[in-house]
Amino acid sequence: MTAPVDQTSRWAGAIRLGTVLIAVVLIAWAWHGTEFDTVRLIAGIPRMAEFLARMVPPDMGIANIVVLSTIETVQIAFLGTVLGAVASLVLGLMAAANLTPPWVHQPVKWLLGIVRGIPVILLALLFVSSVGLGPFPGVLAVAVHSTGMLGKFYAEAFEGAQRGPMDALATAGAHRWQVVRFAALPQVGPDIARDTLFRFEMNLRESLVLGLVGAGGIGFYIQLYTRSFHYDKVATLTLVVLVLVIAIEQLSFFVRRRLS
Amino acid sequence: MTDAAIRIDGVRVRYNDQGGDVLDIEALTVPEGQRIAFIGTSGAGKTTLLRLINGLIAPTAGRIVILGEDLTSENARQREFRRRIGCIFQEFNLVERSSAYRNALCGRLGWAGPVASLFGMFSDTDHALAAKALAETGLENFAHRRVDSLSGGQRQRVAIARALAQDPALLCADEPVSNLDPVLAEDMLALIANSGARRGATTVMIVHHPALAEKHAERIIGLAVGRIVYDSASDGPLNAVALRSIYGRSPTPETVPLPDGEHRRQTA
Repeated sequence: MTAPVDQTSRWAGAIRLGTVLIAVVLIAWAWHGTEFDTVRLIAGIPRMAEFLARMVPPDMGIANIVVLSTIETVQIAFLGTVLGAVASLVLGLMAAANLTPPWVHQPVKWLLGIVRGIPVILLALLFVSSVGLGPFPGVLAVAVHSTGMLGKFYAEAFEGAQRGPMDALATAGAHRWQVVRFAALPQVGPDIARDTLFRFEMNLRESLVLGLVGAGGIGFYIQLYTRSFHYDKVATLTLVVLVLVIAIEQLSFFVRRRLS
Repeated sequence: MTDAAIRIDGVRVRYNDQGGDVLDIEALTVPEGQRIAFIGTSGAGKTTLLRLINGLIAPTAGRIVILGEDLTSENARQREFRRRIGCIFQEFNLVERSSAYRNALCGRLGWAGPVASLFGMFSDTDHALAAKALAETGLENFAHRRVDSLSGGQRQRVAIARALAQDPALLCADEPVSNLDPVLAEDMLALIANSGARRGATTVMIVHHPALAEKHAERIIGLAVGRIVYDSASDGPLNAVALRSIYGRSPTPETVPLPDGEHRRQTA
């Protein structure tokens, strides 16, 4: 006796083959569109080596600038994250479908979506051209960009909070804000702390890039030294960036694990 | 003043236009300080009636006056009214990540200053009442434990403490013991009944077990299909005829109260 032949498994094979074919076509399409060229890549290797050679040995004579600009980068990321988190808390509460009526949470959700859609580099250019060069426009760009993302995460956290405790406090005569403070926040606290920390980690990396458009921090000096061909100084800064990113990733990983 | 704590007059509740009334109460008056229990099958309207009494839902028609306040009035939606009604729920509805003490203190939110409390500032009275409520429910040694580290029985005690911290004039318990084992259920109902009596608070409990209801309440109201079909105040003791009118069939040994007032303890 044999089991009946499963006809669907024949189709599954055909679908798998089709998927692979589509993937191949897509890769070929993008390969062609971006003028991907292995010959040019191989020909470029000596120039790459030359570029890297000019970075060696890294110029340790700029320790002063390294320290100051690193501090500035951390300050940009920190203040940007804090301001973004405060704005996100307010907007996140407003965007939570279980806490506000549709005519409040829908528009706020859209607003957050639009803010999320603006690249941080564009925000930096906007603020540099409106308030001038330096770390200040960097902070603004990071804060606004973080709000788009964190506001959405906070709202989702609030939406995931259990209804029961909130209703219980409201029934006991608690004010709406007291319900949020004593029933909603304790439930979502660890979640939003984790999200915020992760955002800080990302902001630190982003604030490195922001310097390239004149918004302060290490990136500003990387851009400055690249343009003046001081690759040995660029190398020092790059190493610092590497250490900084790895350190903050480890720290954030450690803290977030303790929060779960 | 010998006012009634609960006065219901021709109240009907219906959830949508298509369906019929889920509740149709001709009249029910509960004097201040009385301890009553609602019994009936699932869907008989016990919870709807309780939610009506603690103001969570509004009647479709009729008049309902709780603690001297007409529930259709604007005042009934204010915290000054709500804080006088302590609620205990089947699922406890506690803030799991907060301590037992913090949860009990939440019972004071209706009394605390709305702004000051947001910064964690409560008056000495608030702290004293929360601590007293925890002591009353036997949780002195667990006050600073997080609720999610407590057992089911302890959690329900925290929930009772939160309601007691309100210093309520009316205590409502919606199937407070359905999630607990029979022995714990006895203790918990006794705790609710006694702490309500100590304050002179009117106490309304939904209890699944007629024997438990008889033991812990002064008066039993039986509901079937949204109507009051039995009231021990007028219909006499809860006998087989009464049980049949409530549950729609002859009682089984588990539902019959034992003659000497002692009750069967089932071991889960």
